[in-house]
Order: sequence, then structure tokens, then C-alpha cells
Amino acid sequence: MLEISDLVMRFGGVTALDRVGFTVADNEICGLIGPNGAGKTSLFNCITRIYRPEEGAVRFNGTDLLSLRRHQIVRHGIVRTFQNLALFPTLSVLDNTVVGAHSTSTPHLVPSLLGWPTTRAARRRVEADAWELLERLELTDLAFHPAAGLPFGTLKRVELARALISRPSLLLLDEPAGGLTHSEVNELGQLILGLRDDYGFSALLVEHHMGLVMGISDHVVAMDFGRTIADGSPAEVQRDPAVAEAYLGRTA
Amino acid sequence: MLEPKTTPAQAPASTKRGPRVIRRGGREHTVLLGIGAVLAVLVILWGGQLDPFNQGQLTRVAIFAIAIVGLNIATGYIGLLSVGHSAFFGLGAYTTGVLVVKYEWDPLMTIPAALVVCLVVGLLVGLPALRIRGLYLAMVTLAFGVAFPEIVAHFDDLTGGAEGMTIRRQQLRPPEWSGFTLGERSQWVYWLCVVVLLIVMWIAHNMVRGRYGMAMIAVRENEIAAASSGINIAVMKVTAFGVSGAVTGVAGSLFAMYIGSLFAEGSFTLLAGITLLIGLVIGGEATRSGPLVGALAVVFVPYYAAELGQGQVAAVLFAVVLIFVIFVAPAGIVGGIAKAVRKVVVVTPRIPRKPEGTQQS
Ligand SMILES: Nc1ncnc2c1ncn2[C@@H]1O[C@H](COP(=O)(O)OP(=O)(O)OP(=O)(O)O)[C@@H](O)[C@H]1O
Ligand SMILES: [Mg+2]
Repeated sequence: MLEISDLVMRFGGVTALDRVGFTVADNEICGLIGPNGAGKTSLFNCITRIYRPEEGAVRFNGTDLLSLRRHQIVRHGIVRTFQNLALFPTLSVLDNTVVGAHSTSTPHLVPSLLGWPTTRAARRRVEADAWELLERLELTDLAFHPAAGLPFGTLKRVELARALISRPSLLLLDEPAGGLTHSEVNELGQLILGLRDDYGFSALLVEHHMGLVMGISDHVVAMDFGRTIADGSPAEVQRDPAVAEAYLGRTA
Repeated sequence: MLEPKTTPAQAPASTKRGPRVIRRGGREHTVLLGIGAVLAVLVILWGGQLDPFNQGQLTRVAIFAIAIVGLNIATGYIGLLSVGHSAFFGLGAYTTGVLVVKYEWDPLMTIPAALVVCLVVGLLVGLPALRIRGLYLAMVTLAFGVAFPEIVAHFDDLTGGAEGMTIRRQQLRPPEWSGFTLGERSQWVYWLCVVVLLIVMWIAHNMVRGRYGMAMIAVRENEIAAASSGINIAVMKVTAFGVSGAVTGVAGSLFAMYIGSLFAEGSFTLLAGITLLIGLVIGGEATRSGPLVGALAVVFVPYYAAELGQGQVAAVLFAVVLIFVIFVAPAGIVGGIAKAVRKVVVVTPRIPRKPEGTQQS
């Protein structure tokens, strides 16, 4: 269970997070919505220790995440994807995915230098696992292609593969439907549900595509100006006047 | 499903007009590798019977190649620009010099000693990478490169200071088991350098083609994504810098055996560090054979330039070659060739499938 409480994060005069708090239960998909600049990505960055919040707490299954360093987060079962992509451009799609397994099967220096049989065997295992994920995500055609130059929507799926290979218990998805057409968005929703059934994780899903969020989330949280403005079932949040106002107030 | 791509998962290996596809580990690939190996062996044997001068040139190529392989680990793969790798080269050379001259060590035994000394110093110099990013480490290496000749001058009772240090011929006698006599010393050094180069290239190959090397590239290309994937960036950078220094130090140790006399002001100044960098850039950063090609350039371009004219001409020609290479092939000679070859043939890895019966979840 992920528990976020009273997080505060400021950038100069901008308060990106203003005492935001909510929880994500095990195995649930929690949608996180809010207008541009509401603080959704900042929240992800706090959970994954890319930012250090000024106040508040983030606990995952009892562990204080704020006491960890960036690279330790995945060891506690949390991985994320990035709104604007964070891939390794010269590495192939397969190798990008393989890097995601660093925490579950860490390559060590000396055996790597000597090309030790156990290191090679571990690599074959990880690659075979990555290949299965790529099959699942329909990326095998591009497995040996460098990430650089592939379409945005494809790269979003590569990030998903890299995240899944560590068998996370919590997946943080920052706008996974970016760059997809309408019908592809529906398929993505089914894919996320299917992956959750197969691998068993909870997910925090940031998305502007309301159809997707409302369609697959068990629970939705709405944010605005760094605050939680609604928290409940998809239907409840959709009906909430504060949510409607947050969106109208920005776009009107 | 999500991608409007209609090619089936198992596209036929050869497509119209596209490059020829060769599977790694397949028959064609093995044959090509075999041809490459035979050519390499022929070149090495040819070098073994050259006259002392030309053989010495090849020995220098091997030594510089080792040094540049070391630099490539830090600068090419993990992206830590090091201007002062000359200091590791010098440190390795002086480790060998001091141990042989002052402590009468067997020269061969000084190679591991130089490796350890340079590893430790490399880890220490790399420590700032734990906290500071970007060009700061380059500044630290710059300072290290500038300071090295001063340090040598300071410890003059050990290093001979500005007068330099000479290892007596007798002390560099080839070992009994090698079958080389004292008069055949240049041949012995040639074979020693070739063997060490092969070992170092093999080690670099293992590292770079394995998941450790992938993690290094990941750090270079996107630190946040690398950290989020569980890579401890600071530890990996410092370690890589240590290994990088150690390999370049081994080259320095061999250089001491080859040259026999050490002058810090001559061979181990910042200019030498920049020469190594130029070699890496010309050969091809983050490529496995780039250091060897770069070493050929570093040894032979100034040599032929010197035949054309005196003094400045060599430096100018070197600069022209560098600019030309960067212009034509920004990824270096090896990077450029690899790109051209990929238009004709591509080698794809084998499809990594799980062995039967171990399918899980
Ligand atoms: N590194 C940063 N430096 C300065 N300001 C920042 C930084 N990161 C976020 N902000 C600010 O914090 C606020 C919240 O931004 P954030 O990216 O978290 O919003 P978001 O909800 O993800 O928006 P979007 O839907 O557009 O992705 C914005 O005002 C943004 O300008
Ligand atoms: Mg965002």
C-alpha cells in the first residue's frame, strides 16, 4: 500500500505540491487526474526521489521512501515511466528493457570483466525474460533497433517493458497514452488491465485521457494546485463539482 | 495492436534492397570472425619479424592502444571526460621504474603493481564524481594531469626528478622462459605488449558487451532513467574511473619497459593526455576497436608528418587529420566504418528465448 501524506514541494514562488495526500491500495489501479501544472509529475518525482519534498511523508508497505536514494526505490518494488520519455537512445529496444532488470539481477564488475559463465547465464535469462515482455507488448520487430528514432507511442511501450521486467509491485505511469490514436488508447487500457492480472501490481496512472482513466481505474484522485481536490470511485470523482471547476477554470 | 506496423513477428531474414542480415553466432558470422582472427594473427606474426625500428613502432601502437582502451572506459562508455589520463600513464610507468630500479623487482611483476596503484588512485580521483557532475570531474583530471610532472619532480630521490630515471638494460632482460636473449629485448617487449593488448581488449569486450557495459551506457545517456532502473550511478562512475585508470596504468608500465628511461616532462605531460583523447576521438569513442585505430593514428600520423616537415608541421597535420575525421565521421573512424558497413550487412543477435521447460508465470 502506498501512503502519501501532506507532501509539500516548492519551486521558488511556485508551490507544486501543497499538502497532497491519498493512498493506493494493493492491486488497485488508481487514476490521478488534474489540469496541466496540477503537480502530478512533481508527485511522481517525489515518490521516486528525483525531488526531495520539503514536508510530508511517502510510505510504501511501511517503508519510508523519502529515506531512500533514487536507485533504491526500484528495489522496494516501485518503478515508473516518464511523461517525456527517459530512454537510452543508442541502446536497442531489447537492451533498454534489459537495463530495467538491473535491480533484480545486478551485474557485478569482476565477473563481467572476465566474462564469467554465471554472468553470461544471467544475461541469457534476463534477455529471454525481456523478449517475452517484448512479445507481450508487440515490440519484437523492433527488438534490435536502437531506441533513437522510434515513434513516441512505441517508446512509451518500451518504457513500460523496462518497468515491467523488474516485476514491480507498484507501477507509476505518467501519461502512458501520449502519442496514441483513439483506438490505440482503448487497447492500451485493456493491456494495462491484462498485465495487472498476469503480474499483479498496483498502478498509479496519470492521464489526461478521461475515457482511459475512468474506464480502468478502481479509484481516482483529482489534483489541482498541488492539492487533492477529490478522491473516490471514478463515478464519484466525475460528478464532483470541484473537479469540473478545476478543468473549466483553466480552460475557459 | 498499438502500433500500426503490419510486419509479422518473424520477418524473413533477407528483405528486398535492405542490408544483408547475419545472425550472431550463425555460420556466416563464425566464418567472418574466423577470417578476422586469421588476419589479426598474420599481422601480429608479421610484426614479430620486423626490424627493430618498425617493430618498435608497432609496440608503441600496442601500448597506446591499451592506454586508450582505458580512457575509453571512462570517457567513451560512461561519459566522464578525462583530460589528464597521462597521469595514469605516467603513474604506471613510474611504478614500474621505481620498483625495478630501487627495489630490483622483476619487471613483469611490476605490471600488476602498476595496475593496483593506478586502480586505487583512479578510485580516489574519481571520488568527486560521487557528488559533482558535468565538467567538474574533467577539471579534477586536468589538475591531476598538470600536477603529475610536478609530483614526479618533487619526489626526486625516488623518481630522479627532472633528470629523469633510467632503467638499466640488464634489469630489463627478458625472462629465461621466454627464450629471448638480452639482444632480442625489443622482440620480447613487442610480444609482451601484444599479449597484454589482447587480454585488455578481451576484458573490455566482456565488460562492454555484457550488462555491466549496458548499465554504463545507460548512465551516460540518461542518469535519471538509469537511477530509476536501480543503477547506483555514483558507485558505477567511480568504479569505472578506477578501472579506466588501472588499464591506462598498465600501458604506462609497459611503456617504461619499452622506453627504458622516464622523463615526466617529456612523456607524461598534459599533452600526452590530450593525445590519448585525440586518439580516442579519431578511432571512435565507445567502440571496441576504436582505441586500436586511434593508437595507429597517434603513432603514425606524427611520424609521417615529421617526414613532411619539421616542428609545427607535425602538430598542424595532426590537427588537420583530427578535424577531417570529426567532419567526415563524427563517431570516429571505427564508428564511421561501422555505419557504412551496416548499410550492406547487419549482424543481429540471436533471439533470446527461454530454454524449453523453464517457462514461468
Ligand atoms: N523542476 C522544476 N522547476 C521549477 N518548476 C517546476 C519544476 N517541476 C515542476 N515545476 C512546476 O510545478 C508545477 C507542477 O508541475 P507538474 O509538472 O508536476 O504538473 P503536471 O500535473 O504533471 O502537469 P502536466 O499535466 O502538464 O504534465 C508547475 O507549475 C511547474 O511549472
Ligand atoms: Mg506531468
